[in-house]
Amino acid sequence: MARRFGVLFVCVFLWGAVPSWGAAPVGASFDVSVFEGPKMEELYYVIMRDMDAQLLAMSTGGLDVVWDLYRPADVERLARSGKVELSLASSFHGFFVTFNVRKFPWDQTVLRQAASQVVERVRWTRDLFSGYCEPLASFLPQVSPYYEPNVTAFPPGAEAARKRLAGAGWTWNRSGWLVTPDGREVPLTKIFCPPSTVAATTTEMAQLMAEALISIGVPAEAEPMDFQTMLARVDARDFDACTNAWSMTRDPDNLYAFYHSSMDVEGGYNLSGIADPALDAVLCELRYAPGEAAAREAASRAQKILSELMPVIPIYSRYSISAVREDWDGVFATDRTTADNLLTLISMNPKEGGQRPIYWNIPEEIRTMNPLVSSTAYDWTVLSTIYDSLISVDPHTFEDIPWLAESWRIGTEEGRTVLTFTLRRGLKWQDGRPLTAEDAAFTLRFIKDNNVPRFYDSVKDIEAIETDAEKRTLRVVMANTSYWHLHNIGGMILLPKHILENVLDWRAWQPTNRPHQALDGEALSELIGSGPFTFRESRTGEYVRMTRNAHYFLASGSGVNARTADTEMAR
Amino acid sequence: MTSFFRRLCGSAAVLAVVLALNFFLFRVMPGDPLTAIMDPRFSPEAKQQLAAQWGLNRPMSEQFAVYIKEMLSFRFGLSMMTGQPVWDELKNRVPNTVALLLPALILSAALGVWLGVKAALARGSKAERLVLVSGAISFSFPSFFVQLLLLLCFAYAWPVFPLRGTTSIPPPEGLITAFLDYLWHLTLPLLSLVLLSFGGWALYVRNMMVKTLGEDYVLMARARGLSRRRVVWNHAFRSILPPVLTIFLLSLPGVVSGAVITETVFSLNGAGRFLLEATNSHDYPSAGAAFFLLALLTVACNLLADLIYVLVDPRVRRVR
Repeated sequence: MARRFGVLFVCVFLWGAVPSWGAAPVGASFDVSVFEGPKMEELYYVIMRDMDAQLLAMSTGGLDVVWDLYRPADVERLARSGKVELSLASSFHGFFVTFNVRKFPWDQTVLRQAASQVVERVRWTRDLFSGYCEPLASFLPQVSPYYEPNVTAFPPGAEAARKRLAGAGWTWNRSGWLVTPDGREVPLTKIFCPPSTVAATTTEMAQLMAEALISIGVPAEAEPMDFQTMLARVDARDFDACTNAWSMTRDPDNLYAFYHSSMDVEGGYNLSGIADPALDAVLCELRYAPGEAAAREAASRAQKILSELMPVIPIYSRYSISAVREDWDGVFATDRTTADNLLTLISMNPKEGGQRPIYWNIPEEIRTMNPLVSSTAYDWTVLSTIYDSLISVDPHTFEDIPWLAESWRIGTEEGRTVLTFTLRRGLKWQDGRPLTAEDAAFTLRFIKDNNVPRFYDSVKDIEAIETDAEKRTLRVVMANTSYWHLHNIGGMILLPKHILENVLDWRAWQPTNRPHQALDGEALSELIGSGPFTFRESRTGEYVRMTRNAHYFLASGSGVNARTADTEMAR
Repeated sequence: MTSFFRRLCGSAAVLAVVLALNFFLFRVMPGDPLTAIMDPRFSPEAKQQLAAQWGLNRPMSEQFAVYIKEMLSFRFGLSMMTGQPVWDELKNRVPNTVALLLPALILSAALGVWLGVKAALARGSKAERLVLVSGAISFSFPSFFVQLLLLLCFAYAWPVFPLRGTTSIPPPEGLITAFLDYLWHLTLPLLSLVLLSFGGWALYVRNMMVKTLGEDYVLMARARGLSRRRVVWNHAFRSILPPVLTIFLLSLPGVVSGAVITETVFSLNGAGRFLLEATNSHDYPSAGAAFFLLALLTVACNLLADLIYVLVDPRVRRVR
């Protein structure tokens, strides 16, 4: 087992051959129809908070799947146990040191460039995380399809950084501290970070950064503080430098949120305050790119400009690590997707045959099962097995793949993006009623009309929605041009019209508390989707019980052809 | 009666101050529910929608009026974290917390008091040293360490207790079986809490008793030929009972506020973590309601302590 994990680890570093347990062949276009399931009748999401208790439960069989492993010692321990299969993949996590470029001295580009030269990413990540992280050299994580490796890389080391500063006219006073070309002494930089009791490695990272800055003559110290206080001060732009960790997505559009000058407002995420006209122009091209090629080009240029401006210094990206007990077959993982995914859930079955429930860990309590307000990753772990979307993501390449929609078209008409999705034939909701394009249209209208905050950004530009029952098509006209509309609309969860039209107050809607019709002799609640498992009951803080959805489009005998018709994807 | 009425009015005034502070302190704390959202997919515009949904865009005076109305009517509104009525959230958690912490408090206090008295009576003996050492260990060991050790021993190496929660999965059928299952799940957390807190009681009571046993009136009682049992429990222990009762009664609100670490290690669905998360994520309605109820309970326990003082200490009765 340890050897297998070692192989996986090397593979991720080499970024080459893909270790896969799943059915989908490596390198081939991903075909979801090779998956048939779910195979297991019953699934329990078990809430177990303490990581040590989780590991004990993995050993005793109290849990089958544990995810979000982050302590190197735990990973080593599980690898040694011989009872679990571990999977490791690059993730969309990114850790940065952000400078406040609105004020001296971090408004000086050359100083930020010099600071980036003294960051020893490889050593720091090796020392602090025993290698269970990867150094981050650009502004998107390496796993992103839009990651640009060819960004400006200044020569590393304190010597090279000092040379750069000296070349720009900077000097050092008798105490060795830096002085600007116009004679100003560089003041103390405080690097805000959470306290070591909350995030020990982040505090250490801030201390390492402070030592690195001191090595080029910048007085600096780490200032640990309560996390909420830190957020509030950063939000008020009252800081010199701070540590930030972000969970990004496959769309590089978050570059706009982080670095466009219009996002330097209250509640905006341009924390550094960078405002550069050339960067702004490229980020606008990225946000409103008409197609994938234009988006790729803009993302690449944005990363190159950022590597020159260096408003933040990328440091590292965490790996996702998950574990599944060895007595299960059908576990699916790629170099970009760990085993805790929907495809594993659909195809897993015990090696020894027969039926038994799957026990899947949730490390925090489920806060709400209302999909319209829910926001935590833990809530969505459960909700994503209940609700589906029109398109999904290829776990090998992160490209779009057909899901409830068997095909789609993206085009531009009079400066507006027009999306046309064709739904599969014979789709059904978990209560057995047909799932049609009208359900999808109703979901989008409901969310837009009610300004549901969680989905507000995805639907705010919708101008018109049309459906054709005969052709099973949904046509969405957006108010402007943007390639990302495809992901925003296509990735939106679909809710049944017959449920949603009876929801009077979506904020207080508790679908699990409202009875719906019975199915297989057991009462259903209004938490009805089209996903692989149907919600049955939950006990707050204890577990969520789900059963197999026989109507799922990948289920055997569901009557839905999971093979994709001639998918037309305008790129 | 007048004195009690005065105390009642004082308690009402304290509650009014707590009610106001509860509102303003949360709002002057760094950050707000919106700054806690660090998600690049959540634009400033979307945050404004959320602020409107939570009523945070209304004037402060209007928010205060709504808050006072919700608190005094005991409705408490909807939790910002979960979207559910705060009452439901508390109702789901407080019973588990009380079921665990109330017996833990009673058992650890009873055990600690008994051991403290025994140790004071056997000064210089091995038994006293054992109580002192075990009391110091119990008092000083970090709770997560002891609890993980118990899990490792009794839920993994020798699996006689469950690893998590308050119910088996799937839960057993039948009321009695379910109740027994519930007790089985609470045993190990309960044991850990008793182990962790009896020491404080034992050391405190032992020190008080050692001092009291040297008092003249105890000597006098012995000289009168009273039995050892009467001297110890009716004379010496009775005189230390008021401070012991005060500590006990003032520990009662903690029974509701929960034990965050215990809830985390044993994955218990309790009020402690909810309160912590509500405070950290600036969930004003939940945190406000929880702290208001805690204040109410503290004030009630204080009043109760005053009443019981009168019963157990005749000197207080006379003074009043």
